[in-house]
Amino acid sequence: MRDWKAIAKASGSPLTGKDLDALILPLEALEATFRPLTKDLSPDLDPSVEFRMEADVE
Amino acid sequence: MTIREAADAIRDKCVSPVELATAAISRIGRLDSTLRAFITVTADYAMLRARQAETELAAGRDRGPLHGIPIAVKDLFAMRGVRTTAGSRIFENRVPDFDSAVVERLEAAGAVILGKLNMHELAYGVTSANPHFGVVRNPWNTGRSPGGSSGGSGAAVAANIVFGAMGSDTGGSIRIPASFCGTVGLKPTYGRVSRYGAMPLGYSLDHMGPLTRSVRDAGLILNAIAGRDRRDHASSPRPVVDFVPDDGCSLRALRIGFPENFYFERIDPQVESAVRGAIARAASLGAEIKPVRVPDIAALNAIGQVILLSEASAVLEPYLESRELFGADVLTRLDQGRLIPAVDYINAQRLRRRLRAEFDKLWSAVDCILTPATPNTAPKIGETTVHLGGRDEDARLAATRLARGINVLGLPALSIPCGLSGAGLPVGLQILGQAFDEATILKVGAALEDGGVGIPPCPLS
Repeated sequence: MRDWKAIAKASGSPLTGKDLDALILPLEALEATFRPLTKDLSPDLDPSVEFRMEADVE
Repeated sequence: MTIREAADAIRDKCVSPVELATAAISRIGRLDSTLRAFITVTADYAMLRARQAETELAAGRDRGPLHGIPIAVKDLFAMRGVRTTAGSRIFENRVPDFDSAVVERLEAAGAVILGKLNMHELAYGVTSANPHFGVVRNPWNTGRSPGGSSGGSGAAVAANIVFGAMGSDTGGSIRIPASFCGTVGLKPTYGRVSRYGAMPLGYSLDHMGPLTRSVRDAGLILNAIAGRDRRDHASSPRPVVDFVPDDGCSLRALRIGFPENFYFERIDPQVESAVRGAIARAASLGAEIKPVRVPDIAALNAIGQVILLSEASAVLEPYLESRELFGADVLTRLDQGRLIPAVDYINAQRLRRRLRAEFDKLWSAVDCILTPATPNTAPKIGETTVHLGGRDEDARLAATRLARGINVLGLPALSIPCGLSGAGLPVGLQILGQAFDEATILKVGAALEDGGVGIPPCPLS
């Protein structure tokens, strides 16, 4: 699990105490669901957001 | 009265566009101090447009069924010369010098735009309790939330102020207010309706669509707004068909999926009962109901959250120095998004591709899937948790639980009212379809509507 508190501090968040908890608790919950999903991603799976040359769009 | 009925009445000279606009403006005056559905009312402009419509129709220039019909748009659609706030103090004085594609196309179809509708701040939430422009209230019970983020759109349609309204849906923001306010709400396929001139929230998740009083009305508005727009790079070149279902359309030979997993877990028993009733009605109308196992929707929801947190913070990063201009809930989410690593965002987009492929396999077995639109009916205003399936759940996560994943897939989805709870609150049925097959989900919705699935008019209307 990431240390979200440390990440928040390092990114300059002015929040402390309960405000900081309100920020990071949902991120911890999200990470607990999201992280396991990424374990078996195969390297050849492209992301869904792609840069496409204009000529290819049509 | 629906758009179709009003259009017929105009052509039969039973009512005029000016009379319709006058009645709508009068209802705004009567109801909006309570509902707070509008941020800006364009009464003078609407009357001008209504008079133009009357003149054109009298001269035989008929622009179609929206000609002379009062409509309103969520306040994130740019409209030339009209303040467009996105429900935010940041943009409270922004007056665009251009029209969004949606406004442009509605006006080309002759619609009379009555104003700009209130919404959750920046479309980033589902309560529409806007800290800058007022708390939108649900016309079915003004102590209840209309849902969001297109809460003003749901309230204005349910309260019979306008015949239809435009909303946007990034994680359920059309379908949730449609479900809570007892209206029809259509989220078209990603790319079907141009996003040009609509304030973005999540670039790869934003969909524009209508809220209406009938399914065929949603098809009428989609007819007007769908189609390729080179100003939106995600706009699809696919041809546009007539989306309005035929009168007497049938469910025979249609294969309707009924999810065995996820969608009926932890939902209000009254919602479950109403939705199962609608599915039984579909069977009695001739549809083949087939049980299906849907891919991991909880995973899709997590993927959607990672993408939305990242994209929304990217959109609004330039404004985050002025923290005092944001409401507390939106500011928290924007701060969260700034902490999401790029690796997570990219992996979320990779997972999205994989789950889309898994979901696509379902379409060989069924033509559409029926689910509840929301697991509960409209919560009380200010309620932050709801009790579902024996445990408390964050009200925002509950409202989006059955809707958000479909934005990740980009699929079309329709919410139609299918019953009232014991407390007299609407229940929404969600119809999911294949990409670019809005026609089928609208046909299923219309056949159910014709077959008696629906609710009485809102008491306030």
